[in-house]
This record gives sequence, C-alpha cells and structure tokens, in this order.
Amino acid sequence: MSTGVTQPTDSSNLPVGGEELAAAEAEAVEAAGPRWWSIIWANRKARVGIVILGLYILLGVFAPWIAPYEGTRTDFEALLEPSAEHWLGTTTSGGDIASQLIWGTRVSLLVGLFGGLFATIIALVVGMISGYFEGTWIDEVLSFVTNVALVVPILPLIITLMAYTEDRSIWFTIFVIAITSWAGAARAKRSQIITLRNRDFVTAAKFSGDRSWTIVFREIMPSMSSLIMAGFFGAATGAVGAEAGLSFLGLGDTSSVSWGTMLYQANQQGALAQGLWIWLFVPGLALAILITAFTFVNFGIDLLSNPHLREDG
Amino acid sequence: MALLEVKNLGVRYEPRLHKPVQAVDDVSFEIAEGEFVGLIGESGSGKSTLANALLRLVERPGRISGGSIVFDGNDLATMTQDELRPYRWRDISTVFQSSMNALNPVVRVVDQFRDAIELHSDLRGDAVVDRVRQLFGMVMIEEKFLTAYPHELSGGMKQRINLALALVNKPRFVLLDEPTTGLDVVVQRSILEAVRTLQAEQKFAVLFISHDMGTVLDLSDRILVMYAGRIVEEHDSADLMRNPLHPYSKGLLGSYGDPRAQTVRITYVPGRPPDLTREHAGCLFAPRCPERIDRCLSVEPELLAVDGARVACHVAQLQAEPEDGVEVPARSAKFAGPEFVKSDDESKEALSQHAFLTLSDVSKTYRTRNGFTFSDFTAVDDVAFELRRGAVTALVGQSGSGKSTLAKLITGVEKPTAGTIMFHTREGRAIDVVGLRPGQLRDYRSKVQMVFQDPYSSLNPTKTLGYILSRPLRNFLGLSGEALKQRVEELLEKVALTPASRYRNRYAYELSGGQRQRVVIARALASNPELIVADEPISSLDVSIRAEILELLHDLVQESDVGILYITHDLLSARMLADEIIVLSQGRVVEQGRALTVIRDPSDDYTRKLLDAIPNPFDKLDRPA
Repeated sequence: MSTGVTQPTDSSNLPVGGEELAAAEAEAVEAAGPRWWSIIWANRKARVGIVILGLYILLGVFAPWIAPYEGTRTDFEALLEPSAEHWLGTTTSGGDIASQLIWGTRVSLLVGLFGGLFATIIALVVGMISGYFEGTWIDEVLSFVTNVALVVPILPLIITLMAYTEDRSIWFTIFVIAITSWAGAARAKRSQIITLRNRDFVTAAKFSGDRSWTIVFREIMPSMSSLIMAGFFGAATGAVGAEAGLSFLGLGDTSSVSWGTMLYQANQQGALAQGLWIWLFVPGLALAILITAFTFVNFGIDLLSNPHLREDG
Repeated sequence: MALLEVKNLGVRYEPRLHKPVQAVDDVSFEIAEGEFVGLIGESGSGKSTLANALLRLVERPGRISGGSIVFDGNDLATMTQDELRPYRWRDISTVFQSSMNALNPVVRVVDQFRDAIELHSDLRGDAVVDRVRQLFGMVMIEEKFLTAYPHELSGGMKQRINLALALVNKPRFVLLDEPTTGLDVVVQRSILEAVRTLQAEQKFAVLFISHDMGTVLDLSDRILVMYAGRIVEEHDSADLMRNPLHPYSKGLLGSYGDPRAQTVRITYVPGRPPDLTREHAGCLFAPRCPERIDRCLSVEPELLAVDGARVACHVAQLQAEPEDGVEVPARSAKFAGPEFVKSDDESKEALSQHAFLTLSDVSKTYRTRNGFTFSDFTAVDDVAFELRRGAVTALVGQSGSGKSTLAKLITGVEKPTAGTIMFHTREGRAIDVVGLRPGQLRDYRSKVQMVFQDPYSSLNPTKTLGYILSRPLRNFLGLSGEALKQRVEELLEKVALTPASRYRNRYAYELSGGQRQRVVIARALASNPELIVADEPISSLDVSIRAEILELLHDLVQESDVGILYITHDLLSARMLADEIIVLSQGRVVEQGRALTVIRDPSDDYTRKLLDAIPNPFDKLDRPA
C-alpha cells in the first residue's frame, strides 16, 4: 500500500533542525499570561479594597487582643468622653464604644462570609442545573422556584421569620439572609450557562463520555469562576447590610454585639438628640467602609472576565 | 508621487500586565493612484494591526511607535483626530472584516448611507436616495432592500452593502481587511467579483488584506507578504507565482495544489510563528526555514531589491548577487519543506473496503411554529450513502446544505424524521443509531468521535491537556493511575506534541491553533473509535499549517482501520484527504463518487459552481499537466 506521506509528522524527521523546532515549540508553550491574583492586584481600586478587607479581617480575628474590653461589658460609667481608657467613650448604658465596634467586626464578617457563601451555593446549584437543562421539566420546576423567590417581598418575609423564631442566633440570621437572597444570582447563572453549554468543549465532554453532573460542575463551572466570585462578593455585601438592617430593627441576635445592634441601641437612646454622635456615626462608618471595600474588590474581579478593562486606571 | 507612502511604520502594544510586542516593525511601502495591492499574512503577522494603523484606529494599549503614513502629501500618523475627519470616508474608506457587525442594527440601510453622504457632500433629500440606488445597482442589490434593517439581509448582502458604503464618496483609497472571511465560498467568490469590476471602473487604490493567497493573487497588481510584523517580500503578483523569492512566500504558495491532478502535492510550513515578546537575533523565519544558512541565525535581513522585487532574505539576496565563500542552495520556486501527497490509487484501494455505516433514505425536517401555523424546513432530504473502514469520505456543500445536520444524525445528537442509520462494529454487532436510548448513546459515542471546526472553543480553557485527554480514557476504557498517564502521553506523542511530559500540564490557550487541533484529534482518538466525524477541521487554521493537520488525519486512516467523515465546503481539501466525495445541495445528494472522478468530471452544475469557487492562485498561469 502506498502511504501518501513523504515526510512523517515525527518531528525528528523534519527537514530543518526538526528536533530544535520541536524543542522551540515546546518552550514557546511555557509562556503563560499573568495569573489571576496579579490581574486583580494590578488594579488600584481592587488593591485598596483588598487592603481594607484585610484590615477588617485582622481586626475581627484578633478582636480579643485588640479590643480593650469585652464587647458585651456594660459596667462602665455611662456617657464618658473619649479618653485613653475608653477610646471612643461609653454609651448611655455604660458600654465601651470602641470595644463594641471591634467585636462587632466579627459578626459582620461572619455574616458576610457565610451569608454570601450560602446564597452563592444555592444560586449556583439552582441556576446551573436549570440552565443546563433549559427547556426540560427540571428547568421548569427550578425556574418556577426561582421566580417565586424573586417576587416574594423579601423584607416582610425576613422580618416575619425573625420575629417568630425562638432562636435568634447569628447562624439563624445567616440562614434567613441566605434563603432570601439567592434568586437574582441564580437567574444570572442560569443565563450564563445557557450561553456556555452550546460551546464545542461541552459537546466534546459529552463525546468523552462525561455525565451531566460532571459537565456542569467540572467543565462549565470553572469558566464562570469570575462571575461566581463577583456574585459571592455581591451577596456578601448584601448580607452585611441585611444583618445590620435587621439588628437595627431590633430583630438581630441580642446576645452579641454587632454594628447593627449598636445603631439600634444608639437610636433607641436618642443618641443624636443627646449629641452622642460618635456612638451613631462610628458603626455606620465602619459598615460603609466594609461595603465599599467589597465593591472595590469586585472591580478587580471584573477585570478577570473583561480584559479590556485591564488597561484603565 | 504615490498616493500612499508608508515609511518605517512601527506599531507597538504595551499592555500593563504583559510584555510589550512590536506588532508592526519598520514597514515601508507605497501605493500608487488606482493600484491594487494585496497584503498577505497569517494570524499574528500584524496585518490587521497595520490596517488599523493606516486608518489611525490603533487603540490603547497599542500605539504608532514610529514612521510616517503620508497620504497625498500629508502625514496621517501625526494628525489629530479632528484633522483626520475630512479624510475619513471621503478619501480613505474601508470594509471591515466582520460584515455581521459593521452595520448599525437599529438603523435602516439607506439612512446609514445618508450619514456618510450628507457629511461629505451637498446632496440632500431625494438626491441622497438616488445616489444610494446607484450604489445598490453597482453591488447588484435590489432596491427593495433600501429600507431594510441589517438583520433582514444575508451575510453576503451585508458585505456587499459594506462595500457600497465604502465607495459612497468615491474614495481614492479603500482598505479591505479580510472582507470575505466567514462567508460562504460561493458568496466569497461573488464579493470578490464585485470588488474586481468596481475597482476596474472607478480606479480607486486598494490595499486588500487577507490570509489567503488564493483570493488575493488574481485580484492584485502587487503583493506584500508579511511575517512577524515585517514585510518579507514585495513582488508583482504574476512574478510572485512564477518566481517567489522568500521561502515563506514559497511555503504559502505551496499550500495550493491542483485538485485535478492524479497525485496532488501540497507543502506546509512546520513550526509556529515567533513569539514577538522575546528577544531575537537574525531572521525571524529562520527556525522554520528549510533554506536557511548560518547568517540567517545572527543577522537580520533587510528588505532589499532583488530582480525587480524586494525581499528580506539572505539566501535570495545571495542567490542574486553571490558572495565569495558563502554557499547558498540553488534557487527554486518550490518550498523545500515537508510535503503532503495524496494519490488517486490510494482512493481506489480505500473504496474496496467494507462499509460499516449505512444511511438509507434519511430525512430530517425541522418544524417551527409561527403563531397558529407551522412551517417545515427539510434540512436533509432522502439521503443514502455508506462509510467504509480505513477510508475518508468527504461531505461537501455550502453552508445550509445540510452537512452539519447529517453529522448530528450520524453521531446520534439528533434523530432523523425518516430513514435508518445502521452501524456495524468491529466485533460484528449491528447498532441501530436511530433507536438508541440515552444510556446506549454514551456507549455508541465511544465508537464515533468528533473533531470540531474551531480548536479555540472545543478545548476547555480551564483544563489541562492531560485532564482533557484523560476523560475519554477514564470514562470509556476505565483506565486510571499510571496506565492512564502513560496512555495520555502516548496520545500526545501520536499527534506529534513532543515531548509529551511538557505538554501534559499545559492549558489549551498556551498553544497555537495547529497544536490545539492536534489535541482535539488526540482526544477523538482516545476511545479507540471506529469513526471520526471531522467538521471543517482545518477551515479556521492558517493556510500554511492546514496540510499538517490533513496529513495527521491521513496517517490515522493509513495506520488503523478508522473511517473518517470529513465535512467541508472546500473541494480542494476534500480532494487532498478524501477517497470518496459526496456533494450535498439543499439537503440532497447531488453527486457522489471517487474523489478524483468528481473533481475531474463533475456531472452536476452545483459541483461545478463549487469547483469554480476554489481560490487557486495558479488559475491564471498555465496549469501543470
């Protein structure tokens, strides 16, 4: 049989320095682009966000060492001016504002982390599966649930859930926030996977014998990681705000100190009318800066999915 | 004085997070009034960057790093955007690459012309519409489409309208940047005809940019060949065909063959273009060059006049003016690199093999609902053919001819509305493909694998090559651990990605297009399939490396008993690879037979039309017997 080939693809038989060429090709392969962390770090806003977030995390983790007193102590003299013993003064009921603020960081970060995480996980599972099976009964059911979750008035629902529960722990708050805030993100993930699932590499995975579950979570999901990250930070921002809001309404965990409960107390005691603006102002500012930091980090994550943005500031 | 004089032009990209790239380096050329110049280069050669620089459309992170672009005595390179405005679209216009996106989707076609006309002329009102009518006549589009929105037009019509739009103010210079890429072969042909006649009538100067020498050569007076950001050869087009000077030009020309010959030979350029972010010494083409001499590795060649042309190659320069003590190979018009040969005898032998997939009377009708009525569209109409072991069958047709639908039916992705598809395995078991349940389909797919058109989207960007190749091995053959790793490396070696250990942990985006397609083929081979359906596997690759992939597929068929169904719109590549050709038109088989017979002696008009649409640079010259 005549083989129609005069030059086999075997690189050692290439006419000119074949081995050299193959080596050069293999070497050229080594040149990879920048890693994701350096892309995020290169953005000024993201850098600021990461630094602030890092400071908050340090503050939260090392609260027992940093804070001068336990956050829950209320046996100081009331209404002290800021001093060396009480950096930001004390409240009407004799709590140390600085200590409450530092301990409160823990609660906010915990709610942000886990509230964001759980909401993202629910959104991922529901959105990915319903998007991958678009047009089938699985999608019908999951989309119906998502739509219901979207149209339910969330604030009254949260208030009702919180008001009627016996156990107002921080974990219950996280649970309530997670199950009420996933729907929008699930929608976004569903539409994203619909655009991805017709890519050739998904068809190729089917031809490689992969099962649907593997395709959705091992083949497609990694392509969406920047979207998922952005979704997580968005959900975390929402969770921090929601916890503060609930506590401010008096629906939070009364046994622990958070920025929301500080605001609640300050409001109840008429802090502003009494001129105790530090008490009201400081937790609000801490909250605003944390949420800004989350948003700034998200600017950096945007750069991962949109390389055009990388050239700006 | 020439209309356009480009001198020492450089364009540099300086992204914040990557190494800078000199995408266009020291490019000089001239275009005279009314001249038709072709610019050929492959992906990454800097040709589109050069086009953007000429139009002053280079955006951050790129910038013009030096040189001048003198148009009619004024330097465009240093003008402000406001100074440029009067030139744009009046003196200089362009047809962009993507016809689909160049028209505003929410504005009627006639109004898009109106903007361009009213800005640069005194025509108003009905006079404008008359002018647009005249332009529509020029590009042969019916007047009823004047008030159409772009989405109501086909891709070919849109590109004609883009062409008309470029000519709206009777420009003196038109830049055509791959105006036919992504269009069907037959449509491509008609657009090029329109360009040819309009240019002959109106005498505007053209710079026609393309990666495909075949389309450019018979239109252009003069050709510029670009490689790695530099012009490596400037030559009269007829002379370039007869007597190419730069080895790269020879390589590009060598990738065309005469499909009517008993034995077709095409050459390819091994290796890949240089990484311009790295330091380099000597000629950038040297690592891939079969003619190189020692000097090429250390001294960068300049673009110098040789035999009435200009070429940047030490060997060609020395051949023209020999130097004592420097030996160079004798001049040859042929690329001395690897060659892929397909003879008709092979086809004869292959067609004596046993059939293992039989389609009988297969039809596929899609039904769409419009309100209360249904409309049926028959994509595949009563098709019957057989595929043979160890043979390549080409399914040839324009887009919309039903060839991709047939691929879906054969791979079990979709079910036919009528007819049967029977698959006979190596073990002698008969599988009724139409009746497969989802669970059985998975098993069937270990026997039928696919190679996709676009190697950029068919490899998961987030997975290593090792992972990608391990999936079918794990799923179908149950391999794991050391045996799995070993088989992955064998597959990589088989498609010439050596040393395999260096590739196993790489990602697809780190590879060139040709290398990616090799990985796709390796994945298709992993489950030891009996049939590989290759859907346009080379159409998105650079011309100079296409033969390399064809050769790889060819070797597979020779070495094992796998059958290949090669789906393509290109009869030349079908002839190169296939033993049998089936021509599809509007869902029907219009012609079927041994490859050479179909090409030499087409019995159907449609086949002839497809044959005429093959870009062949040698058409103008006498065909070698």
